[in-house]
Parts: sequence; C-alpha cells; structure tokens
Amino acid sequence: MNSHRVNERRNEEVVSRVRFALIPPLIALIVLLVIWEGAIRMYGIKSYFLPSPWEVLLAAWRIRGELAGAVWLTGRAAISGFSLSLVSGSVIAMIFAQSGHIRLGCFPYAVLLQTVPIVAIAPLVINWQGAGLQSVILISFVVSLFPIIANVTAGLTSVDRQLVELFRMGGANWWQEAIKLRVPHAVADLVTGARTSAGLAVIGAIVGEFFTGNSTSQHGLGFLIPQRIHWLKTDEAFAAVAMATLLGVVMFGAVGWLRSTVLARWCDARG
Amino acid sequence: MILAEFRRGIAFAAAMVLVSMAILASLAGCGGQGNVAHQPTTGEADQVTLQLNWFPEVEHGGFYAAKLCGFYEDEGLDVKIVPGGPNVPVVQQLDSGRVDFAVTNADRVVFGRDADADIVAVMAAMQHSPRCILVHRESGITSLSNLRDVTLAVGSGPAFYKYMAKHLPLENVQTVAYPGSIGPFLSNRKHAQQAYVFSEPYVAKEKGADPVALMVSDVGFDPYASTLIVRGEMIRERSELVQRFVRATVKGWQHYLAKPASTNRHLDEINPDMEPGVLAYGAGEMAKLCLPDEMPVERFGTMTADRWQTLVDQLAEIDLVDGGVILAEQLFTTQFLTGDSQGAVAIEE
Repeated sequence: MNSHRVNERRNEEVVSRVRFALIPPLIALIVLLVIWEGAIRMYGIKSYFLPSPWEVLLAAWRIRGELAGAVWLTGRAAISGFSLSLVSGSVIAMIFAQSGHIRLGCFPYAVLLQTVPIVAIAPLVINWQGAGLQSVILISFVVSLFPIIANVTAGLTSVDRQLVELFRMGGANWWQEAIKLRVPHAVADLVTGARTSAGLAVIGAIVGEFFTGNSTSQHGLGFLIPQRIHWLKTDEAFAAVAMATLLGVVMFGAVGWLRSTVLARWCDARG
Repeated sequence: MILAEFRRGIAFAAAMVLVSMAILASLAGCGGQGNVAHQPTTGEADQVTLQLNWFPEVEHGGFYAAKLCGFYEDEGLDVKIVPGGPNVPVVQQLDSGRVDFAVTNADRVVFGRDADADIVAVMAAMQHSPRCILVHRESGITSLSNLRDVTLAVGSGPAFYKYMAKHLPLENVQTVAYPGSIGPFLSNRKHAQQAYVFSEPYVAKEKGADPVALMVSDVGFDPYASTLIVRGEMIRERSELVQRFVRATVKGWQHYLAKPASTNRHLDEINPDMEPGVLAYGAGEMAKLCLPDEMPVERFGTMTADRWQTLVDQLAEIDLVDGGVILAEQLFTTQFLTGDSQGAVAIEE
C-alpha cells in the first residue's frame, strides 16, 4: 500500500518534470514558426523558394498517402540498417575487447567507416548490390556501425580493474566474466552509441534512396525530396524533409525510451 | 618628308594586313575550319549571363557558336555562359535575377509558371524532345508499347516517365534510379535506361553494345528541348536587349547546325567528358530535332501555342501541375523570332 503511494507520487513527479521540460522547446518552436511565416509574408518570398510553415503543413496533408508510404519504406530501411549495426557492432566490439593487439590492428579500419564519404560510396554499393532496398539497408548499416563499435568496445574494456580482479579471485571463467561483468557494464555505452547511430541510420537510408530510391513501386523519402525539388514543389519537399527529421527523432526517442525502461537497471547504475 | 610618308604608308599597310588577318581568322573560326575565338571588342557592351541546364554539350552548341563567332558581340552583348549540371536550379537562378537568360526543357517552364515563377520561353532550340529509352537489340523490344521484362533506369525528376507509366502497359518493368552513366546498361542485357538520342546510343555502340533507341515522343510526350527562357520583367522592361540576344542566339544555332566543327572543338575543350566523335555524331542527330520535316532554317526556334497547350494538358493529366490555371500564351512568346535580321517569315501565334 505504502509503496504504491510512493510510486504514484514518483509518477506525478515524472509527469510534471516532463511537462516542464517540454515547455521551453515548444515556445522556441512557436517563436521560430511565427518569425518564419512572418518573414515570408513581409518580404513576399515565393513559395517555391521558401514555403511558409502553413504551406508545408498543407502540402504534407495533400500528399499524406505518398508521405506515409515513403516514411514506411525509409523507416523500414533505417530500422533494418540500425538493427544490423547494433548486432554486428556489438559482436565486432566483443572481438576487439579480447585483446589489445586486435584493437590496435583493426580499430583504424573501423574508423574508416566513419570517415569514408557515404555519398561517394553509395553509388558503388549500388554497383555491387544492385539497386533496391537491400542496398539502402546496407548504406544505412555502414554509416551507423561505427558509433556502436567505438562505444561498446570502450564499455567492455573500461571495466573497473578491481572488479575484474574480484571476479578472477572468485574463480570466474572467461564466459562468466563477460556475461556478468563486462556486458552489463557496456550496456550504458551501447545506448550512448545507439543514440548517435539511430540518427545516422536515417541519414544513411535517405542517402541510399537518393541513388536508388525508386526500386519498387513505392518511393522512400530520399527519392521524394529531389523529385519534388525538380518539380519546383518545394513545399512538398519540405514536408518530406520534415518527415525524415521526425523519423530520426522518433528513432532517437525510442532508444531513450528503452534506456529509461527496459535498460534502466544497467544504465542508471552508472549515473 | 618622303620618308615620313613612306613610314605612314608602311604603318597603314601593316594595319590593313592585321585587320584582314583578323577578319580572315574570324571567318575561318566560324567557317568551320579554324578554331579562333572572336576577340571581344572593348566598348559599352551589355553584360549578360546565360545559365545552362547541363554540362556544355551539343544541346547548347548554338549558344557557344553565337559567342565564339562574335554574334553576341555584334549585338553589343558581352555574354557569360555558365555551365549547368545535375541539381542546378535553373528556374530559381533566373527568377531571382542572378542570371539574365537560361536554358531548360519545356516541361520545367510549365513547372516554373505553376510555381509562380515569372519566366517566359522565347526560343526553342529543339522542336522535338531528344528523350529516348535505350534497350538492347537482343531484348527484341522494338517499341515502347512492348517494353517489358526489363530493369529501367530513369531519373526521379523528369515528367516523361510518369506519362509513360500512365499510357503504357510496362509489364514487369522494374524502375531503378538513373545512375548518370551507361555502365549498368552495358553490363546487363535485361537493362534499359533513359537517354538523349544524340548521345548515349553512340557511346553505347562505341563500347560494344547494340542499342535501340525508342523515342518517348512516339508516345506523345514531346516537350520542346533546350528552350531559352527569360524573366517576364526583362521582356517588359528591356525588350530590345532580349531581341538582340535572341537574334544573335538564333544566328548562332543556324551556324552550329550547318557547321558544328569549330564549336565542337571548343565544347571538347571545356567539357573533357565529351569525345570529339560523340559531339560530331550528336550535332548531326540533333539537327533533325531542331529542323524536322524540311523545316526551313529561317524558322529555327519557333514555337506554337498548340504544342504548349498539349504539354500543359499532359502535365495536368499526370497531376504535376494545375491545368486550369496555366495558359499556354503565358508560357512563351515568338515576338523576338519574327524580327529576325535574317528575314525569317512572320510566325503566327
């Protein structure tokens, strides 16, 4: 009974904290939109140069069906690329964590994933893979992989020395040490990497679609944006850009939500 | 005294020689034998900028010819030609006043008017669209109506594919983004791609393929290509400048269609991607689109309201523009073509 009440009070606290945290960005958004709309009206800027927020909203509604299909397609590619990154990035990080020699030898090449200009290799990926969803997923995967490798490797290798020694004193074998100590320790780092990675996965999917987007009868956001710009339907292009941004935010938010719910036990422990 | 006169005589003779050499040189350059660019004179020439829609290729040949042969200069114009490329916002550049003239295809003129851009077409270099679909001869496909079972690479922007998709069965045609090169086409017999009839077919043949070019205009979608556009404001306020520019440009095109060699050498220099062979082939093939069906060279560049209206109706049919709002008469004018110094016939609108 008592604990229930405590829980309730804590929930109320959380709600009011969230509410308080939402107000300043909302005000900033409204101010920005008002300035934007006002500037367009004041200077008589043509809609195809810069549409007003209201026109973008109308355009989004006008092409809602197409937008929804595009978000679905791009979202599917981004989530697939991101999931592949989470899994392979973690596996690679585990291998890296095994020895300093492997890390020294391979890490510089992992860095290449980060530094290679994705727009330059996207056409190559399509050359090898053929145009289609699998190429888009692959590009999304390539750009979102590095943050996972880097963060999880750091998490697995930065375990408190004394804790490792404690495990070894207790006669823990390699497997026990990995599962009970290193992996739980690295969860928080995985989340940090995943936050960066989620946004990158969306960018990767969009870049992929720029080059190969019309692979099916459906079109992704990265296909829609240049097409609408070509047709001088800038308001619809803006609507698609807004959707791409929103998709990134949602994925970022989902990672944050997992962190504070399912993964809270491991993440909160480290503060 | 005598000596002084003698010296003056020598100087005069030398000057004459220089002048005649200069004239000869310019004649040679524009006669198709030499490659001597016309030297611009220093004077009160009006400086104007022309924005192209793509890298300098044969579809811009006439504009370069007008510059190289000094036709612009003869009209008191100092013209700067700015090459385009993918994603160059031609209409925006023109409408915002950053350039004075621009080259684009007719469908984009309609998009521009639909988006409230103050642009008007004043000349169309190509009467018929060079747009085609390239297929391998082995595919057995002989017309667009039996285009099937292929992977087709098309750009996302151009309207022609939307029109094709509406009017053709296109059974089992999987579309992919056009990669900007004919590489995938060459390596796969089941591949088809968008192309310009005077360019890619030649290159594909050079690389050992046996391509067939199927004209999109056969389906009925046939916008004017390489149209010259200006701001409506420019026509209202500096109509005489537009007149001079169009006159010189038409002359340049008429020259290029007859004698493309010297201009092609220049195109080859400024656009190393273009091999001399493809330029020579392209200029010859393009001439058929610029002056089709025995059209007299004096009528070069002309446009009709019917053709523009057809295009507007077609773009409205595929929901790309609001057909009821755009009037064909607002999209173009031939007023600058009729006053041609070469004595072109009056063209009825």
